Amino acid sequence: MSELLKATDVSVHAGAEMLVEPVSLALTAGRPFTLLGETGSGKSLLAQAIIGTLPAGLAAAGQVTLAGRALDLARRDGHRALWGRLIGVLPQEPWLSLDPLMPARAQIAEGHAFVRGLSWAEANAAADRDLAGLGLQEAADRRPDQLSGGMAQRVAFAAARAGGARIVVADEPTKGLDIGRRDEVTRLLLDEVAAGGALLTITHDLGVARRLGGELAVMLKGRVVERGPAAEVLAHPRHDYTRRLIAADPASWPQVPPRPGTGAPVLRAEGLSVSRGGRRLFDGLGLDLQPGEIVGIWGPSGCGKSTLGDVLLGLARPDQGRVTRGAGLAPQRFQKLYQDPPSAFPRCLALGRALDDLVRLHRLDGARIPQLMSRLRLSPALLARRPAEVSGGELQRLALLRLLLLDPVFLFADEPTSRLDLITQAEVTGLLTEVARETGMALLIVSHDPELLSRSADRVISLASPETAGPRLRHQAA
Amino acid sequence: MRPLTQAILYRASQAVLVALLVGMLTFLMMQALPGDMAFRIAAGRYGYDAVNAEAAEAVRRELGLDRPALAAFGTWLWDLMRLDFGTSVISGAPVMDEIRHQLGASLQLAGAALALSFLIGPPVGILAGLRAGGWLDRTLLVVSTALRSVPQFLMGLILIVLVSIQLGWLPAAGYGRPVHFVLPALTLALGLAAVSARVARDAMAAVAASPYYAFGRWKGLSEGQLLRRHGLRNIGVTLVTYLGLQFAMLVEGVVVIEAIFSWPGIGHALVHAIFGRDVPMVQGTVLLLGLGFVALNTAVDLTARWIDPRGRGAGEARS
Repeated sequence: MSELLKATDVSVHAGAEMLVEPVSLALTAGRPFTLLGETGSGKSLLAQAIIGTLPAGLAAAGQVTLAGRALDLARRDGHRALWGRLIGVLPQEPWLSLDPLMPARAQIAEGHAFVRGLSWAEANAAADRDLAGLGLQEAADRRPDQLSGGMAQRVAFAAARAGGARIVVADEPTKGLDIGRRDEVTRLLLDEVAAGGALLTITHDLGVARRLGGELAVMLKGRVVERGPAAEVLAHPRHDYTRRLIAADPASWPQVPPRPGTGAPVLRAEGLSVSRGGRRLFDGLGLDLQPGEIVGIWGPSGCGKSTLGDVLLGLARPDQGRVTRGAGLAPQRFQKLYQDPPSAFPRCLALGRALDDLVRLHRLDGARIPQLMSRLRLSPALLARRPAEVSGGELQRLALLRLLLLDPVFLFADEPTSRLDLITQAEVTGLLTEVARETGMALLIVSHDPELLSRSADRVISLASPETAGPRLRHQAA
Repeated sequence: MRPLTQAILYRASQAVLVALLVGMLTFLMMQALPGDMAFRIAAGRYGYDAVNAEAAEAVRRELGLDRPALAAFGTWLWDLMRLDFGTSVISGAPVMDEIRHQLGASLQLAGAALALSFLIGPPVGILAGLRAGGWLDRTLLVVSTALRSVPQFLMGLILIVLVSIQLGWLPAAGYGRPVHFVLPALTLALGLAAVSARVARDAMAAVAASPYYAFGRWKGLSEGQLLRRHGLRNIGVTLVTYLGLQFAMLVEGVVVIEAIFSWPGIGHALVHAIFGRDVPMVQGTVLLLGLGFVALNTAVDLTARWIDPRGRGAGEARS
């Protein structure tokens, strides 16, 4: 196995503060290397230091050796000549990373033409071959807005590699992708490794780390806490943090004991049909929600999961069918928990103020706030802060607190944990289901992770259309 | 190309609406101006000294000024539909001929100013935007703010004093030779470039900070290749839209600048026509300017569509 890149004592700091402590690693042909960690663990910074893409204001130290050249990372100018030629960087959000006005072929061909020095005719032909190799012949003349997320990911992949780079660095390549696309991207990366390339992947997704295999380094607070062959680390974690991380993976969650529904339904939907942009999302969907019941909704991106929630809440109209609410229930007892907690709070207002405003508006009992705070394991000190000054997990729990003040009988949770880290996700989802059981609130929880749903819901509704057959779900009902 | 035909139809109906409104408003405003119209027209024809009540009466009878206003407006509209703009009540020449001559002179000046501003503004702005926060960017902010806050008539006078009187390099006023273009065009261009440089700078800074620009770098492209492939087209829509807007603002500037540099253009002509109550002339000029705006907007729309063919809301279709 040949070593394609060797990084020695790479560290990152902002002024005097050390963000990533010195790490050494080597990338070899044919063996993936994965950095696993949560947001803020420094995994992206480490990778950015190695490939020279650190944001301004951060400084790196250490040395990187590749292709017989040694680069001092303290100097910022050494990497430019390597990009595209030796190092291919796979961008985090492919949709935004492709030129919005340029067809896919041209975006790939420019690597062949400018970096490899082919003529434009040859470069275009090479780009067409790349596209065909990824099963994207038909995408050659399309602009990014005409590509699906998965297609854009593959186009970006081809574009990143067109210059002939054999070392691929992928920063969160599966961020925001549903499970089918996630596996597709992982496969693409593995193909590259099998062809003799080297791969450095940065991910927070345990499933991706497991599938990639190879070497794994787990990062926490700027330090590598554990490293070794991926299979071994994941099977026999030694560090406490790795253990917690693995326990937080939905695949290893304990099963919520299913509970037969009791009482009159709080919400009943009959024969719902909804289409968007001329496409039928679902047809003849019926649903009964009883107090305290937890129902999961699964489906690939764009299948209408969020739309269904909006219809049930009366925020959108169905083409056909109707939604009936339990008699005598106030409208504000039907609530929604949003995907992105920061955008669900006023940015410039202290969190406590935002809650007080709600209490005043609906004449609620403000004395319940401290009690709910301790129930949701939130520190009272958070109330004095603004949304940007608390973590995503805390903010999502505060959002939950805010709507619990209204005594909801129905809660639509729209991918409530998709922006959160694994451990936080486990915590928030756990609290959500516990609260549903305690208060008798019917919970409709949307997720693209079938494991998460089958372990936390009484039953799961799949919105996958027949042609995109979803994964097999336990307790499936429709 | 259904949306394209739709856009053109929309603009065509807008043109009709503009014609009606402009005709009506100018007509009403001319009626509302104080003073006896016949007297003013007679003064325009024969000079103030030679005018008396008889001459005014003759004019009134000749032009039928005592007819009801509505009938006069109807006649004008009817003539317009036959593409007849009428004749100037002062000079007696067809309005179309007068306008053609004066509009030509104005368009030459406006075109020269726009071209000059285009050569100065966007390139400086792009350079500043590529290094947002750099010395060029900071200098540009100061210079463009300063230039923008100087009214155009003052800028014109400053240039005349500086370049014509102090240095004696260029004539202070006149029309006919290329040197006559320099000062008035430069006066207009400086004001335009001050803003278009800032617009180009902001657009370029946004593009240069975008993920696709960074990705282009990681693909191995040089800065020049990046600018040509991913920079220019992406700032194109903003720039073209803004330049179209500037052309409209130019008309306002042209009126002032023509007065200062004695340029025989349409602004000049319009002011004289209003003084002389030359209603057909005013209506014709304003109508042509109005239709010019519609045509310009159409051109801007079509160019923007050509640069960025993405449909509106295409990005929302998926998330």
